[in-house]
Amino acid sequence: MTEGHRNPKAFVIDEPKPGEKLAETPKRKPRAITGITFEPEHDDMALIVVPPKPPAPSRSMRWGGILLAALASLVSLWAGLAVTQLVEEFFVRSPILGWIALGVAAIAGFAALAIIFREIWALARLSRIEHIQADAAHAINTDDSPAAKRAVSHLQNLYAGRADAQLSLRDLKQYDTDIIDGRDRVKLAERHLVSPRDDEAHRIIAHAARRVTLLTTVTPTAALDILLVAALNLRMMREVATLYGGRPSLLATLRLARIVLGHLAVTGGLALSDNLLQHVVGKGLLGRLSARLGEGAVNGILTARVGLAARDVCRPIPQETSAKETLGSLIRELVSEAGEPKAE
Amino acid sequence: MRLGVTGLSRAGKTVFITALVHALLKGGRMPAFETMAQGRITRCYLEPQPDDTLPRFAYESHLAALSGKDRHWPESTRRISQLRITAEYEPRGLIARNFGSGKLHIDIVDYPGEWLLDLPLMQMSFTEWSAATVAASRISPRLQWADDWHRMLASLDPLAPADEQQAIAAAEVFTAYLSRCRKDDVSLSTLPPGRFLMPGDFAGSPLLAFSPLDILPSTELPRGSLGALLQRRYDSYVATIVKPFFFGHFARLDRQIVLVDTLTALNAGAGAVNDLRQALTQILTCFRQGSNSIFSNLFGRRIDRILFAATKADLLHHTSHDKLENILKLIVAEAMAKAEYAGADIEVLALAAIRATREASVKQRSETLECIAGMPLAGEVLGFSRFDGETEAAIFPGDLPAEAHSALDGSLEGSLRFIRFRPPLPKDGAYPHIRLDRAMEFLLGDRFA
Repeated sequence: MTEGHRNPKAFVIDEPKPGEKLAETPKRKPRAITGITFEPEHDDMALIVVPPKPPAPSRSMRWGGILLAALASLVSLWAGLAVTQLVEEFFVRSPILGWIALGVAAIAGFAALAIIFREIWALARLSRIEHIQADAAHAINTDDSPAAKRAVSHLQNLYAGRADAQLSLRDLKQYDTDIIDGRDRVKLAERHLVSPRDDEAHRIIAHAARRVTLLTTVTPTAALDILLVAALNLRMMREVATLYGGRPSLLATLRLARIVLGHLAVTGGLALSDNLLQHVVGKGLLGRLSARLGEGAVNGILTARVGLAARDVCRPIPQETSAKETLGSLIRELVSEAGEPKAE
Repeated sequence: MRLGVTGLSRAGKTVFITALVHALLKGGRMPAFETMAQGRITRCYLEPQPDDTLPRFAYESHLAALSGKDRHWPESTRRISQLRITAEYEPRGLIARNFGSGKLHIDIVDYPGEWLLDLPLMQMSFTEWSAATVAASRISPRLQWADDWHRMLASLDPLAPADEQQAIAAAEVFTAYLSRCRKDDVSLSTLPPGRFLMPGDFAGSPLLAFSPLDILPSTELPRGSLGALLQRRYDSYVATIVKPFFFGHFARLDRQIVLVDTLTALNAGAGAVNDLRQALTQILTCFRQGSNSIFSNLFGRRIDRILFAATKADLLHHTSHDKLENILKLIVAEAMAKAEYAGADIEVLALAAIRATREASVKQRSETLECIAGMPLAGEVLGFSRFDGETEAAIFPGDLPAEAHSALDGSLEGSLRFIRFRPPLPKDGAYPHIRLDRAMEFLLGDRFA
């Protein structure tokens, strides 16, 4: 009885005197936390997919990067030295010549700076389009109103300086204060600002594809072929990007090309049907007529595919309709044009 | 195409139909209604009334009521009426462009919402209905309004010989109880039979001289007794009033919009919300919903798209619309699950067919309140202010709960107050609205292919 039994006891708790420690640990009132937002579940029926970003550069290339950077800075140092020496020599010969040389060098430097800024700005613009795409896709998929507002206002900024968009912008402006759901707002902006450009994009791509077909057919050597196709493809990409609001310069175009290639690599389903098509068109139908024409058609189809990928990448609001359908219509156009050869 | 506008009384059926017709006829800002936004609707007009036995929907007089100096919301509907509107459009498909008519007829029926309450009666016998009604009246929130009727009920003996005067008196007291339960401060919804509240052409008819009795569902009523008389009246009420109403107007719908006045129910409290849920669930089981197949096209089409709309969304700031939609989803959850299972397309949205308010934000003691501003109806009271119908006021109706369930469990009592506003003046010939275009896109959009 004595071991297991414990008597009742009272303990006095030494409470801190009021005003002593209270200032340090303020009491926390019970409160309800409202406004917690959970990610709404995705409706997989009509999901819109944003074009994939290019894979992040791998970390193992760091030494190569350092080497390149070091070499580049060496070259620029050398260039700076050479220019300084040149100007100095001119000053030795005659002060007037020296000043002229200095002025020219300054102009060159200024132009180089301007080019650098332009490149940076163009890259920023490209990434802005990517942000708009992400916001718009999110808004369409989840009917999210803030994302839609963000996407639409960025889109309006993107097109603010373009003469051909002013009327649409004014039309769109009147809905700013209306209560419209996220999905509808994005669709509205798409209808006003982006859709009118789709026909033009289609025209650019078809034009480039026809051109590639024709040039491949008439160029004498394969090496020249490759160069021509690459150049025309780059040009088409730039045109498409400009159409949808990008300002592609050198670096931005390269980045664009990388994204487009990445996009092409991902859309494998397209490639399968395409291979079949190439078989039929390249070796079968047109190949019978002329081997060169068949190759040309294949190159044309490739260009069309690249063009469509470029459109997917550049279009600020991702498209719901499948690219496959559009490729079909492009190829039909191409084949019918190529079948009855026509001077460009 | 038959569009079914379903909603209990004062859910805003008449205003919705008027606004829909007005929008189709006069255009207006409908950015989300693609066919109209693309300009493919070339002409819309009202057809002459196709059915000679039905009154035409008085679109013009409702519109006149909504405009002008002493504009007001249309009176509650007393009888059934119908309207056919024809929209001519440019079809999109190749075949339709060349061979199709490019015309869409839309038939809309307007009727007193009370009558909808009768639809569940088709599946109930008199004794079942009696037992259910009496049981419901013995618990809160009905209990406190049912005293008179309960006294009357106690004096009725189902087995006594039939007495016409007794039946009429019982029906009168029962009707008084029903209409008391419908008043704004109680706002209950499950109050069949609907003709007691809105008799239409049957006022004073013996068809309406019956009332429930305090009996068990399995009671056998002997011939010649009071119970048998009331049972016969009930049966003929169902056979001659309810069934023709349903089969004439609701059995062949293509699309359905269910208007739910969630805010008035929230005003009255959790009891009213629960009752509304029960009423809607019962009513919606009567409709044929589901996806259509070749066979159903031949043998009675089903309703393949249902839109649940929380009306009067303009009494709330748009930041609360999502919460309102969640509450509505909870109210119609059962009906929605059933329709979804049958394969119908479903959408839920907060709607204001005619938007009477603007939005404003008021800063008060470092707190920003999202308000709505407009002209409250004369006689509306909020706190200490009473409105005369001429002054403009900004109203903060209280925060809707983030968790929709609290609308049903009574934890919200007294924390919400929605004020009704006067109708707005049309702007550029069109009435402002909230999501009417989205509703039209969902209900009609694919028919303009």
